[in-house]
Amino acid sequence: MVLWHGPTPRVAMESSTSSGDIVALKMIVMMKQVPDAEEIFIDPVKYTLNRSQARGIINPSDENALEAALKIKEKEGGDITVISMGPPQAESAIIECMGRGADRGILITDRVFAAADTYATSLTLAAAVKKIGDFDIIFAGESTTDSGTGHVGPGVAEFLGIDQVTYTVDSRIESGMLTAERELEDGIEVVSTKPPVLVTVLINSNLPRRSRLRLKVDAIRKGVEKWDHDTLSLPVDWVGLKGSPTLVGALKIPEERKRESRPVKLEEIPALVDELVKKGIIKIGDDA
Amino acid sequence: MMVELINCVVPEHPEEYHDVFVYLEHKNGKLTRGSLEMLGKSEELAHKLNEKAVGVAVGKNLKEIAAEAESYGCDVFLGAEVTDFSGFSSVAYTEFITSFVEQYKPNIFLISGSREGRDLVSRIAIRARTGVAADCIELDVDVPNRLLIAWRPSFGDKTIDQILCKRHRPQMITSRPGSYKMPEKVENHKCEVTIKKVKMAKYAGDHKTIEFKQKDRLDLTSAKIIVSGGLGLGNASGFKLVKDLADSLGGQVGASRPVVDLGWIPYEHQVGQTGQTVRPKLYIAAGISGKIQHIVGMKASETIISINTDPEAPIVKFSDYFINADASKALPKLTEEIRKVKAGTPASSPG
Repeated sequence: MVLWHGPTPRVAMESSTSSGDIVALKMIVMMKQVPDAEEIFIDPVKYTLNRSQARGIINPSDENALEAALKIKEKEGGDITVISMGPPQAESAIIECMGRGADRGILITDRVFAAADTYATSLTLAAAVKKIGDFDIIFAGESTTDSGTGHVGPGVAEFLGIDQVTYTVDSRIESGMLTAERELEDGIEVVSTKPPVLVTVLINSNLPRRSRLRLKVDAIRKGVEKWDHDTLSLPVDWVGLKGSPTLVGALKIPEERKRESRPVKLEEIPALVDELVKKGIIKIGDDA
Repeated sequence: MMVELINCVVPEHPEEYHDVFVYLEHKNGKLTRGSLEMLGKSEELAHKLNEKAVGVAVGKNLKEIAAEAESYGCDVFLGAEVTDFSGFSSVAYTEFITSFVEQYKPNIFLISGSREGRDLVSRIAIRARTGVAADCIELDVDVPNRLLIAWRPSFGDKTIDQILCKRHRPQMITSRPGSYKMPEKVENHKCEVTIKKVKMAKYAGDHKTIEFKQKDRLDLTSAKIIVSGGLGLGNASGFKLVKDLADSLGGQVGASRPVVDLGWIPYEHQVGQTGQTVRPKLYIAAGISGKIQHIVGMKASETIISINTDPEAPIVKFSDYFINADASKALPKLTEEIRKVKAGTPASSPG
């Protein structure tokens, strides 16, 4: 049984000007390649998702997570490692991240990782972070567009025994502390915490930069490391479907409501409004 | 706080796990809408299983929260009253809630999929070595096996998947606020209340809330009427017409992703897969072609009217009414008619 003792806060962040050991800020970005929703099909017989034809894209909020890390790197220095769990094709998304300025790319790929739920996924990613070693901040997108649970970021933080700051729209380093703004239902919470910490980043919270050709060429030359369950010393029954407490029992196709698509001409708009009022869809004297 | 990197564990005695937990999130001394919906659901499931609905809460003034939970039919209330500072820390809250889970051993645990709920649920589940089904829209129980049957929409809403957590306990789920109806008040209900005192400082470490800026996010999910605009508006100023119509109807303004990306309107108005999922009584889509990412966010609307120059646009078949016209012509016409009706002139009268 492996016991994770948790990373120690990195003293060198305190000040870049003070004497003593200066260690660069180490950041990790967790990224997932997701299928472009527009190109997904459901097999009508087997009810399975046909993702093979769908173009792979970087999960949108993960792009914002990478951008948040790159902004800190520009200001504070340091390096960024991108880790992604997925099939071999996900390598292209990692190269794209390196083309935007990430220094190292690791693809966690193994057939035994397939069909993992959020527990097994968090465990696998936490094992990868543990193998990377020291880090200050892990950035992750708030949720993915293909499963959308938003559970993996906090799950990794829990396995690593570190603090988390979720739903951020802005983050920066101030005298060795991470200061971040969290967007909640009723306002913005400004929090401060000491690394190591996991930060989840909201979609559209910044403008992700484009990759640069030179960096992309460098990335291809450098290559993407590939780690499997052996590299991570994970037993096969801890990962993938076997390591997942939840399972999909059955599927049903939702009943799509048939809609009439009744054509209405411009000059028929008064009659349409009249009908909407009669049906109670538009209420008169009700401003709510 | 330190967690072993270890796989999920099957309890040796699952029969020891009993009752339905519900996390009671509260703001400004009141239960949130999401946690009330979940409380209602926990009572419904507990009733079927002949078990209890157990509310758990963390924070300040928990006596008031317990009283409100009681008035909605909660059977048992377990509170962790924070006595030092206010604010939120995932690590500390996870610690407090987990202590109730370990002590009580619930069979089922429901958490509202609000921002706070989704921040906590994964940590609590991993601490308990169990799984979570996220964003469920339908819940039921297999009574003889005391198994929770949860249904959640899959990617792109094309299927609804049944998620089971057969061997691990508790069986945990989240549902987004607005997924279920509000529970009814229950007269003369007695709730067994236990509140213990806890300190945040012990667990929160250096995590501190520096400031809270109150600002209501535009919540389209509870809007009754939404008028949305897309690329067919032609330019950013086209949203003026959208806003006029929304105002005349007392509704809110929505948008498709491309126009948000172009900066015509802020992201908080975006409807769809990477925006908000809405289900108003009336949804008007002006100049929106209806890509699947937009459709999944609005197709549950009661009545849908689309305005488009292209009769072949995908939005048409998702519409109850289709106005085949330019949005810049149809929108003002609709606004004018609605203003007339609201002013008391019959819409069908000439003029």
